[in-house]
Amino acid sequence: MSDVKEISSNKLLAFGIIGGLLGIYLTYILPALGTQIGGQAESFLTVISPTFGALGAMCSVVWGAEAVRRVSKYGLGTGVPSIGQIAMGMGIVAAMFGLAIVKTMLIAGPIVALVTASVIGLIIGWFAQNVIKMKIPVMIRCMTEIAAAGALVIIGFSASVAGNFDFLGSIIPLVFDNGVMLAVFWVGAVALLHPFNACLGPDEKQKRLLYLAVSTGAITMVIMGIAALVTLGASGAITLVLGIILWVISYKKFWDEVYKDSSAVVGTGLIPKTEA
Amino acid sequence: MVAIDPTLLNVLLIAISGTLICAAVHFIPVGGAPAAMAQATGIGTGTVELAAGSGLVGLITASYMYANEPTAPVYLVMAAGAMGSMVMLASTMLAGGLIYAYGVAVPFASAQVKKDPITGQRQDNFISKGTQGQGIPTICFVSGIIGAALGGIGGALIYYVLVGIYSPLITTSAAAVAGVFTMGVFYVNAVIPSYGVGGTIEGFHDPKFRRVIGKDVLTSFVVSLICGVVAVMIAGGMVA
Repeated sequence: MSDVKEISSNKLLAFGIIGGLLGIYLTYILPALGTQIGGQAESFLTVISPTFGALGAMCSVVWGAEAVRRVSKYGLGTGVPSIGQIAMGMGIVAAMFGLAIVKTMLIAGPIVALVTASVIGLIIGWFAQNVIKMKIPVMIRCMTEIAAAGALVIIGFSASVAGNFDFLGSIIPLVFDNGVMLAVFWVGAVALLHPFNACLGPDEKQKRLLYLAVSTGAITMVIMGIAALVTLGASGAITLVLGIILWVISYKKFWDEVYKDSSAVVGTGLIPKTEA
Repeated sequence: MVAIDPTLLNVLLIAISGTLICAAVHFIPVGGAPAAMAQATGIGTGTVELAAGSGLVGLITASYMYANEPTAPVYLVMAAGAMGSMVMLASTMLAGGLIYAYGVAVPFASAQVKKDPITGQRQDNFISKGTQGQGIPTICFVSGIIGAALGGIGGALIYYVLVGIYSPLITTSAAAVAGVFTMGVFYVNAVIPSYGVGGTIEGFHDPKFRRVIGKDVLTSFVVSLICGVVAVMIAGGMVA
């Protein structure tokens, strides 16, 4: 597109899926590992594990925000927020399905959710392209990516509040019953849609958007930290503090990028006083 | 009458509700950004925001009815949902109309019809040059109310079906799970038509309405059918 080097979409896809799944699975593996070691390590690993869910979700936020960028560049005609909301709509349906359907085989849950979300996204993308005829070449691929990212964002942030991704045992009592799910849904949707919604325009650059995506992800993490303070206690404090630190760093980076990019616009000189 | 398997019936009901929500969006006078600058007819915000705003209020009123009267028949829950949505959208349009009339000072006129089909008043004389109409004329208001009712009915029906499926399995948590799932289905079905109409639509009198509703409804029906299957399978996963 431009002479600025961009991170390829495949790299970000890998980052989102691997980072997201790794974070989500660590919430499950670390406490299990702790039980085997026993002693102080057990309580330590149990306390820190939920934070990884939020970190994993942040990886998916970055990926999802970039996918939103790629598809929204074509102009949807309905505003960028709509795509963030459909992402979460597809994501939540798939996440609930994936986590519930595996019953006792908990470990398969997030993968099943990811696959389900991709399939739903693929179908909606296909219909948008071929039945509604939106004529956006990247529609099918991006819709699939956005749905998958949405599912991982929901599972990751839910796991950071519930401690793990056991649908019946942890997520329903700790995330659904108290209404935290609504925060996951809304703040997660904003995390995905805000970066491009704020950065769009002729001077939009990928790097700036990615930093903003990290910062919106960090804000979501802070809110999940507050929720986790109530549900999990100490783990929530770690998520909260780490979220604030990440937000400060990424927002400063975003701020610097804005300054760097705006200098090119400002330095055009004064308007000549007389016509030549 | 042929007896339908209850599971199949549930899936079909969810698919129909999703389609109702999709159809509802076409009735709501959505103006988007141009309307926010009083350069197009309708409410000055996006399709999804309006449909979701009214639909979620409908969901709240429907679930309130269901929570206080667990033996309530389905039509009562649907009526409660429709009422909540209609009140919400009517107040949005009223507040928007007050601002357009007394704040922006534009005459309400539709660009899509020459005469308002309800009041019979001329519209084209009142359209400012270079705009697509302004404000929320009577026909748009009525169309919006119909749309809100459909959306509320759709949301309430999904909720009613899901609570029916989940409550024997997870008792007290059923309302939360059903509510969140309904929200997910709602958002998917609110965004699909917004792609179809391309951001703005005036209501059922808009020529665009007839042009796009068919393919949007088809898309929405297929997607909602999948959501329905998924919802029933989630219940399968809840059995320990």
